[in-house]
Amino acid sequence: MITIRRSEERGHFDHGWLNTYHTFSFAGYSDPAHMGFRALRVLNDDRVAAGRGFGAHAHRDMEILTYVLDGSLTHKDSMGEQHTFGVNTIQVMSAGTGVIHSEFNASASEPVRFLQIWIVPGVNDVEPSYQQIPFDAREKCGKLRLLASGKAADGVRAAAIHQDAAVYAGMLRPAETLTQAIAPGRYGWVQVARGSVAVNGEVLAEGDGAALSEEREVSLSGQGAGDAEFLFFDLS
Amino acid sequence: MQDVNVLVTFWSRTGRTEKLALAAALGAVQARANIRLRWLREDVDERLVGEVPGWSENRERMSGEYVAPREADLAWADAVIVGAPARAELAGPEFQAYFELLRGAHGKGQLHSRAGAAVISGAGANDCALPGVYEALARLDLILVPAHYGSEADALQAARAHGRRVTEVARALKAL
Repeated sequence: MITIRRSEERGHFDHGWLNTYHTFSFAGYSDPAHMGFRALRVLNDDRVAAGRGFGAHAHRDMEILTYVLDGSLTHKDSMGEQHTFGVNTIQVMSAGTGVIHSEFNASASEPVRFLQIWIVPGVNDVEPSYQQIPFDAREKCGKLRLLASGKAADGVRAAAIHQDAAVYAGMLRPAETLTQAIAPGRYGWVQVARGSVAVNGEVLAEGDGAALSEEREVSLSGQGAGDAEFLFFDLS
Repeated sequence: MQDVNVLVTFWSRTGRTEKLALAAALGAVQARANIRLRWLREDVDERLVGEVPGWSENRERMSGEYVAPREADLAWADAVIVGAPARAELAGPEFQAYFELLRGAHGKGQLHSRAGAAVISGAGANDCALPGVYEALARLDLILVPAHYGSEADALQAARAHGRRVTEVARALKAL
């Protein structure tokens, strides 16, 4: 079964410095029907103006993944980590017992767009940690590139998260197709970052998401005239 | 577990007090508090700012990272932690403006049975700020949670421990 979450149905706030879309309830957007999907709790599509960002704020017991789509972000936290990163990088902060961090657009002239994802951890009170893993863009072209996983991955460097979940990035050219099996009892979520993708025959546009339940595989096919980029979540 | 909100407001020129305030806030988060961090921006002669190494850069950075405390923060807070350098001038405009905000909240009964605390950077024999902060908080009927001096060798560890302690006291007060 596929349940589609259309882009325009998401929570949306344009604060000027921040233009943000919330797939699930977050901050000022609250909808009991959209509190997340399985362990996937937050999926925000944020566009932050040049030089602006989120000041020091706290997290606890959450796996926080950041995936930049355009531009670059500067991150600073109470663990002493201070980094600037851009596209083709997965950043994961395991908040565990508590982290205070800030994140700002690293550019004084260009906006930054990124997906921020919160995954509920399977265990609380872990030691806070920070991971930032860059990869070659070719690793996601026409295939799924593992970004983060609760299990050790063979032959690929991915971020470790405290949840039985795997997060992949993929890019497809028009009419290009790929298929990924979904194990019995597991669930999937596809989030289209840009372009258009058909998911098991259902066409999704930029910003759309789709929940997959009781599906044995996900078949993804590039639509339209341009490249499509998306994330795929394999969830317990 | 009772939800607890901790407001940490600090004044910092060089970033030293900011680190202590962040440590106290982190301790509060570790004790499962919601936190807000607020910065008191000083209103001083720009020439003076230029004379102190790092002040201008830190001020610019902090003005991007923090906002000033607002009335709504005090209505929200179950505990108030003030961060100040040991030689802070509490009679100066930045602290006086904050104490005025606190007095307004006190006048509305918003500080009743709330916890108050301080973290002081560079504290020791020349700690001039702490007694003044305690007196100001006590006059607002806040229930003081004194720093547990000597419990931790490291100032940041001590501030984290204090943040946890303040949260636990605020949680207990809220349950009364």
